[in-house]
Amino acid sequence: MSPVAPELAGSSDLGRALDLEAECLAVLPLESNLFQISFQAPELARRARPGEFAQIWVDQGRLPLLRRPFSLSRAEPDLGVIAFYVGAVGEGSRHLQRFRPGDRARILGPLGRGFTLPARRGRSILVSGGLGAAPLPLLADRLRERGEELIWLNGARTRAELYPDRLLPGGLAEVVRFSEDGTAGERGLVTAGLGPRLAGAQRVYACGPNPMLAATFRLLQELAPRAGRALPLEVSIEAPMGCGFGSCLGCVIPLRREPGAAGSELGLCCRQGPVVRAELLDWERLLQQPAHLE
Amino acid sequence: MSPAQPDFDPSVDIGRGLVLANPVGVASGTFGFGFEAEALAGIEHLGVIFSKGTTLLPREGNPPPRIAETTAGMLNSIGLQNPGVEHVATEYAPRWAGWPVPVLVNVAGANIDEYLRVVERLDGVKGVAGVELNISCPNIAHGLDFSTDPRAAARCAAAVRGVTRLPLVVKLSPNAADIAEIARAVEDAGADAVSAVNTYVGMKVSLRDRRPVLPGAGTGGLSGPAIKPLALAAVAKVRRAVRIPVFGIGGIASAADALEFMVAGADAVQVGTANFNNPKASSEVVEGCLAYAREHRLHRWSDLRWSGLESPG
Repeated sequence: MSPVAPELAGSSDLGRALDLEAECLAVLPLESNLFQISFQAPELARRARPGEFAQIWVDQGRLPLLRRPFSLSRAEPDLGVIAFYVGAVGEGSRHLQRFRPGDRARILGPLGRGFTLPARRGRSILVSGGLGAAPLPLLADRLRERGEELIWLNGARTRAELYPDRLLPGGLAEVVRFSEDGTAGERGLVTAGLGPRLAGAQRVYACGPNPMLAATFRLLQELAPRAGRALPLEVSIEAPMGCGFGSCLGCVIPLRREPGAAGSELGLCCRQGPVVRAELLDWERLLQQPAHLE
Repeated sequence: MSPAQPDFDPSVDIGRGLVLANPVGVASGTFGFGFEAEALAGIEHLGVIFSKGTTLLPREGNPPPRIAETTAGMLNSIGLQNPGVEHVATEYAPRWAGWPVPVLVNVAGANIDEYLRVVERLDGVKGVAGVELNISCPNIAHGLDFSTDPRAAARCAAAVRGVTRLPLVVKLSPNAADIAEIARAVEDAGADAVSAVNTYVGMKVSLRDRRPVLPGAGTGGLSGPAIKPLALAAVAKVRRAVRIPVFGIGGIASAADALEFMVAGADAVQVGTANFNNPKASSEVVEGCLAYAREHRLHRWSDLRWSGLESPG
C-alpha cells in the first residue's frame, strides 16, 4: 500500500463553484448520439475556465440519482451562455438530450482543475478523440484571445463521431480530421498527426479515451529532441464520479508526486483533475480502470 | 435560524453533554471531513457532522471503480480511504474546534485493538465531540463480523467505552440477522446512542461484461432513496429495542424524509447520499424540519413519534 497524500496536492478551489438553476436555451442535435446543449447561466459563463466541468442534476428527482459531470465546452460571458458537448450514452445524458428550451437543470460548477494557459504566445496543438473534443472549444477560444496559434487534430472512430466542423471555433491555423475507419479525413489514429507538427509548437492539450491519451503521451516522449524535454502535455481525463467535489472519494486516479517518481498514489479526478500534467499520471494503472460511472 | 416557536425545543440530547442544536446530521462517508461542504455550502446550520471513517493507519482504499449507480440508489466500495487518526487529530480537529457544529469521528478498525488505539488518540482532542463506531463497514475484510454478532459488537463497544468519556455512538449494520439484538447488546455495553442503518450489501452486474461492476467480491454498500423503506423498518425495530437515542439513516434527501424517520422512532437523523447531489441538502433538511415544526406547532421532535412504537413489536 502506498502512503496516502492526506491533502490533495494542487486541488481545485471549491470557493469558485456555484449551484444554480439554469434554463436550457437550445439542444442542437448532431450525428450519431451526439448533441450540444446550451444554458443561460451568466455567472457560470463568467467563472468558467477551460478544462473545468460542471455537475448537472438533470431532473432533480431520483432517476438518475446522481448528477453527471460534463466538461464546459463553451462559455460566452457577454451572452451569459454556457454549452456542453454531450454523447447520449447513459441515463443522465439521454435525459438531457430530451431537454426543450425553457427546461431547467441544476448546475454545480465550475469544478475541477482546468488547463494551464501558456505564459508566452506561441503555437499549441489540440488533440481530441471523439467526445473528448468537449472541453477544447472553450480552450481554443481562450487561447485565441491571447494570440496563440492553434492546430486542432480532430479524431474519432468514424465520421459521425467527429466533432463537427461547423462547431469548431474560429481562427484555427489548421484543422486535421482523422477517422479510424477512413470515413472522413485521414484514415488512422489521431496521434499520427502529431509527429509532423511538433516542430515550433510549445504545448499539447489532449482529451479523449484514456488509451488515446496514453498513446499521445508515449509519442511525445519518443519524439522528444535528443537531450531535450518532451513538449508539455496536459490531458483531461475521466473517472467514474459520484459528487464532483471531493466528498465521495469515488473518482480516484493514480498520480505521481513528481514526474518520474516510481510509485503513484490515488488522487481525485474531480479535485486534482480532470486536467492533469501527463507526466504526473501513472498511465499503466490508469489504463486498468474504467472511465465512466456504471 | 430562530426556534420554531417559543415553547418548541429543536435540540436533541444525546447524552454525556452532547446536545445537538437540531436533529439533522450528515452521515459518515458522505461528507469527507467536512471541508468540501464548508467551502461549497457552509456547515453552520447542521446539527452534527459524522466524519469519514478513520482508521489507525492511513488507508489508500479500494481500486476503482468504487461507485456504481443503481435504481434510486448507489453502491460504494471506497474501502475506508482516510489519512489515519494521527492526521485527523493533529490537522483536522483543530479546524473543527472553531466550528459551531459538533464533529463526531467515525472510527473503523480490523480488530478491537485498532478501535481502542484510534479512540485513545482522539480522547481529549479539542474539536472531537465524540466517536461513532463503524462496526459495519462492508468494504473491508471481516468488517461485518463485529456488526452481525451481538457478542462481538458488545465486546467492541464495551472496550471502547472503557477508554473514553467521549459520547459513543455505534453505527449498526442492517445486514445483521436481527438488528434489534445488536442494538440491545451495544446499549448494554455502554453506547450513548446508535445509528441505524449503515449501507445494505448489494451488487450491480454488467450484462455486457458478464460480471459485477464493482471489483473484488463485486459487492458494495447500497445507499440512497432505494433503501429508505428498509431503513425505516430497521429504525422502528431498533427503537423498540433500546432506550438510548437513535440516529435514523437511509435515503434521507428532504425534510419530509427526515420527519418520517422521526415518526418511525428516530431521535435524530443523518443525511447521506443526498449530500453528493446537493452540498446544501442537509442544511435544507434542517430548514424544512424547523418550518414543519413551526407549522404543526410541535413542542419537541418526539411529538412526531408513532404511538405504535410504545409497545414491543
